Amino acid sequence: MDPTALYESFKALQNPNFFQDAYMQFYKAWFAEDRWLTYFKGLSTTLYVTVIALAIGVVLGVLVATVRTAHDQQRPGRHNPFLGIVNAVCRVYVTIIRGTPMMVQLMIMGFAVFATSREKTLVGALTLGINSGAYVAEIIRGGLMSLDPGQMEAGRSLGLGYLDTMRFVVIPQAFKAILPSLGNEFIVLLKDTSLISVVSGKEIVYFARAIVTKTYEPMAPYLITAAMYLVLVLIFSWLQGKLERRLRQSDRR
Amino acid sequence: MIDVKHLSKAFGDNLVLDNIDQHIYPGEKVVIIGPSGSGKSTFLRCLNLLETPTAGTITFDGAVVTDPKADIDKIRQQMGMVFQHFNLFPNMTVRKNITLAPVRTKLMGQAEADDTATALLKRVGLEEKADAYPAQLSGGQKQRIAIVRALAMKPKLMLFDEPTSALDPEMVGEVLEVMKELAQDGMTMVVVTHEMGFAREVGSRVLFMDEGHVMEEGKPEDIFSRPQNPRLQEFLSKVLH
Repeated sequence: MDPTALYESFKALQNPNFFQDAYMQFYKAWFAEDRWLTYFKGLSTTLYVTVIALAIGVVLGVLVATVRTAHDQQRPGRHNPFLGIVNAVCRVYVTIIRGTPMMVQLMIMGFAVFATSREKTLVGALTLGINSGAYVAEIIRGGLMSLDPGQMEAGRSLGLGYLDTMRFVVIPQAFKAILPSLGNEFIVLLKDTSLISVVSGKEIVYFARAIVTKTYEPMAPYLITAAMYLVLVLIFSWLQGKLERRLRQSDRR
Repeated sequence: MIDVKHLSKAFGDNLVLDNIDQHIYPGEKVVIIGPSGSGKSTFLRCLNLLETPTAGTITFDGAVVTDPKADIDKIRQQMGMVFQHFNLFPNMTVRKNITLAPVRTKLMGQAEADDTATALLKRVGLEEKADAYPAQLSGGQKQRIAIVRALAMKPKLMLFDEPTSALDPEMVGEVLEVMKELAQDGMTMVVVTHEMGFAREVGSRVLFMDEGHVMEEGKPEDIFSRPQNPRLQEFLSKVLH
């Protein structure tokens, strides 16, 4: 049956029951005026912001984790003063980002630092990326530190250099170990993109809210928004599970 | 071959090695025994700088290992090391474990390294395990592969850090057998072990360490039959039964 005809028939009812009422709300939030298109417009922005923030986050995270780990693993008596300064900068970065709320960071970036910018979506993506970088850095650092020191020692005792041992021995194993935490961070990031609506980044929540201001019925638009995030997260979790199973190959007995 | 002068190592306030002087000659099989916490593993790990000494110098074939400017990777390429817990790389096949270092350090090409790996694996009777992952091997097999991995670098010296201590009793023999063959081939070896039978049979010199000092050293027959130091007598009475 045609959705619009169904809606009209329910609307004509004197006392619509619960399901009929729910359908009408859903109709107004989804079919009316082709509103469903705007959710997908928001969804594409959400994905776009996630990808940009993820790229920034991973690059920053790897850099910071590398600096922090290399600094901590220097041989006694061979401290590099330049590395010491960069390490201090990295520590301040991680402390500030982890010590302040995401929302406040967005407001500072959106309303103060880039107050005149019109590309608020991009400002949001940048802020999310910088935020994510601090968490990714700590996840990677944790992974590198958690590996049995014997692995590094074995590589070095064979005459492999620090970087070679990192590249062939430590990082592949650490990557496998941190994959669940990284996946978790990715999911948090994906959902945190909803916050950029506070600086008028045009993602799903932004459009859902716009629909609510027209229909005055918040239930359906926000449920639809929630469902869209849930589907995204489920798809991603499934992909992550596949990757983890593939990396577990060398564990088979 | 290795010259150790006034070597000391402290972890915080805990002095683990106290002013040790030693010289290891080419072809020697030096076996280090002693109670746990005596500093024997630390001594061994100082030789290839896995532990950085607090004081003293170590010279290997004319190169000063303890010099901060020394090319430690070059030096380590000539010193094989076998660990108590094997430390095979679990993310690689046995073959890759063995060939990684020779290829990356440009000692050999991949083809030559593969041939070396096959030949060495055959020598320890594990040629059919070349494509297995470490998780598929028993402890004794892992340790024999760890020895092969170190040998693939064609080292001048082999360091063994309690190579049989983490093994099930029935697998100790197969690992000691490989080490004995290596000794017969003339490899210079420094072995930290609790296997007194091995020390007696293979060792050309035995060091007894306690509290960061070499308390007594000598030929195995002297150490085991006519121990002088009371600490050594007490130690032997506890381990030989």
